[in-house]
Amino acid sequence: MNTYIKAIAGVSGREINRMTSRPLYFLAVVLLPLLSLLFFVSLMKEGVPVKLPIAVVDYDHTALSAKFRRTMDATPGSSVVMTPATEHEALSELRKGNIYGYVVLPHNLQADIMNGSQPVVRFYYQNGLLIAGGLIQNDLTVTLHTLSAGVNKQKREAMGQDEVTVYAAIQPVKPDAHLLFNPETNYPVYVTSIMLPIMLQIFILMITVYSIGIEIKERTSREWLRISGKSVTVALTGKLLPYTAIFFILTMFSNLLLFRVLMIPLNTGIIYLVLLSLLYVLSYQAIAVFFVGLLPMMRHSLNLAAFYGILALTLCGFSFPIEHMPEVFRLWAEAFPVRHYMHIFQSQILAGFDFAYAAPSYLKFLLFLLLPFAIIFRLKSALIYQNFIEKIQITDAA
Amino acid sequence: MKSLLVKTFERFRSAISNTALIFQRELLLLLSDLGVTILLLIVPVVYPFLYSLIYYPEVVRDLPVAVVDLSQSADSRAFIRKLNATPDLDIRYECISMEDAVEKFRKRENRGIILIPETYSSDLALGRQAVVSLYADMEFFLYYKAMVMGAGLVSIEEGNDIQVKRLMNSGLSERQAVVFSNPFVISGNAIANPAGGFASYGIPAALMLIIQQTLVLAIGIMAGTARERHKLGTLIPCDLRRMGTLRMVLGKSAAYFLIYAVMCIYMLGAIPAWFGYPDKAGFSQMVSLMVPYLLSAIFFGLSLSVFFKNRETPMILYLFLSFPLLFLSGIIWPLSNMSPVWQAVRSIFPSSHAMLGYIKMNSLGAGISETNHEIAMLWRLTAFYFVMACLVYKTQITKVKKLVLNAGHKHNPTIPAL
Repeated sequence: MNTYIKAIAGVSGREINRMTSRPLYFLAVVLLPLLSLLFFVSLMKEGVPVKLPIAVVDYDHTALSAKFRRTMDATPGSSVVMTPATEHEALSELRKGNIYGYVVLPHNLQADIMNGSQPVVRFYYQNGLLIAGGLIQNDLTVTLHTLSAGVNKQKREAMGQDEVTVYAAIQPVKPDAHLLFNPETNYPVYVTSIMLPIMLQIFILMITVYSIGIEIKERTSREWLRISGKSVTVALTGKLLPYTAIFFILTMFSNLLLFRVLMIPLNTGIIYLVLLSLLYVLSYQAIAVFFVGLLPMMRHSLNLAAFYGILALTLCGFSFPIEHMPEVFRLWAEAFPVRHYMHIFQSQILAGFDFAYAAPSYLKFLLFLLLPFAIIFRLKSALIYQNFIEKIQITDAA
Repeated sequence: MKSLLVKTFERFRSAISNTALIFQRELLLLLSDLGVTILLLIVPVVYPFLYSLIYYPEVVRDLPVAVVDLSQSADSRAFIRKLNATPDLDIRYECISMEDAVEKFRKRENRGIILIPETYSSDLALGRQAVVSLYADMEFFLYYKAMVMGAGLVSIEEGNDIQVKRLMNSGLSERQAVVFSNPFVISGNAIANPAGGFASYGIPAALMLIIQQTLVLAIGIMAGTARERHKLGTLIPCDLRRMGTLRMVLGKSAAYFLIYAVMCIYMLGAIPAWFGYPDKAGFSQMVSLMVPYLLSAIFFGLSLSVFFKNRETPMILYLFLSFPLLFLSGIIWPLSNMSPVWQAVRSIFPSSHAMLGYIKMNSLGAGISETNHEIAMLWRLTAFYFVMACLVYKTQITKVKKLVLNAGHKHNPTIPAL
């Protein structure tokens, strides 16, 4: 046992030496991951986008239309930044990207409302940008309904109805929206909580593939195996241990950002957070080892890892729900640890559900850890025979 | 005088022919390298396809929700029927208690809960306001939107119907009752993407990003490979015919430009046509955006290539940028809510301007004049990165010349050193 530990420590020491020999390692293991984490935390820390610029085209020019415009400007979601003279101008401004939506207040708005001929108030929103468009749509729908209710209320009060009766009469059924389990969390914070692990997984994948692949490419794999006492398990454990430690610290740092800077509520024991972070790092390392074993030529395994790492954003199912994708992608999504991470994060850590509900996802994490055993002999032979080395033709001729 | 003219002509001729030589060689190298060929020819073909298939359903319909009907009255059942009729929602469970519904939520059997209070029917009968609680899952923006918009609109409609009915009971005509409860009609209209489809929104932008990312990676890989292949580990081969900054930069760029001009026909012409994505931009608009985009992305790649010492370096040091670039483009996060620092960072990447410009032209039908900010920025970046690329290659060429001459001097004392 003791000799194993010594061997592993020896390999780790050798790896740390290698890591300090090239700036590439510092960039890919420390600096770029850190910058990526800080980028996402800083980009969306303000919460739901507020005061999105809109325009009001006022053909009416009355006290009422001015009141409408002021009300729309005062809502938290939008801000009236311009009042173009025509709809045509407003559309052009929207196309230029200066506004995300506009409202058209028609001629004779005030007069038509007074004499009961029910004018039409149209609004337009830029749905080519789904989030900004959705927010504007929501905001303007609510605001215009409130304004409509306001006119209604004035009429009723003029008729002598009291305030409570008026509200019940105007809006007999009132929808009251709540968020299940994390009412404090807003959507952008939520996006950040997924983007941080997605950024980390790409670095873990690439650097793990690289650190093993480079031994084959530069023909140092035999020396590496010799130090490891000819055991691939020792060789891999020793080599990957420093990365596990660094990426575990980075994952915990990203948790710190989420729970202490963005103030996401933490509704479970910290021990689960530690366990989840560790499993996350280990499972991505295991997948990367699997890739190298599958395609020992580094250029190919790096391509495979890149393809897989980039797809994680789509197939973890946070941009578009997995349940609504075609069946084959639902199965494929199971092959991404970040998907299971997301489930545990939501159900256990954010919502505080019992461990039992997240247990299947923990089990799937364990399955990822078994992956390297599938290719361990292939990898060993690649390390020994070095038969997957790309031939580099030295040439300077045209 | 004549000899000067002849000399100039000769120089010009050799410059052209050497540029053509570099172009030809780069093209040959690109296509003989499997990794780069995959990046340039396979990735741009496969990714749009794959993403289109993944996002094929486009919108979230029939979100499974549970209803807790504590009222159990004719009124509440009518309300539930209306909820079920909206395309957004599917009332999968009618639970007897909130605990029951929450338990089902924990097991992920429903993605939202609608609670109708015990007093629903009596509130309506007595003219009090009935409050229906919607519990939405925050997991997905699209789920949240389906739940709040779907159930919210049903509540408003139901309330409206009740109000109209009551007003008619108090003696108003139907028309009068409708006008009384809705003094004006509200009409919301989507400009672009009326169905709110996710693929129509995301894929055109992703296509633009893929163009820049594959270009920079391919150029970087070629540069890294060149260093591994050349005897002295330099970016430039020791071949005097190719020792010219301009011919080096232009020759290489021409090769990438040619390949991507062809790929663009597929990515921006065929893919939108096949999958029914927006394609409002005309040919001349597309050209006016894509020419500066491709040029700036190529020069950007050439400028960066100096940092890539090995073949695998770009994958490790550059690939990750795809995610931040997606969020910086202004497609996901509105530019109006981006801090000045990130706005500045955003503006140095060609993809940011191209993605937004493409969405404007293609989805909103913006013309060249309405996209001129983006186009102008792309030309500025083209100029900037062209100068950068030239500087990078100039220093590399100087370095190689020095190395070659010193090496020559050492081994062959008859050649005088400069």
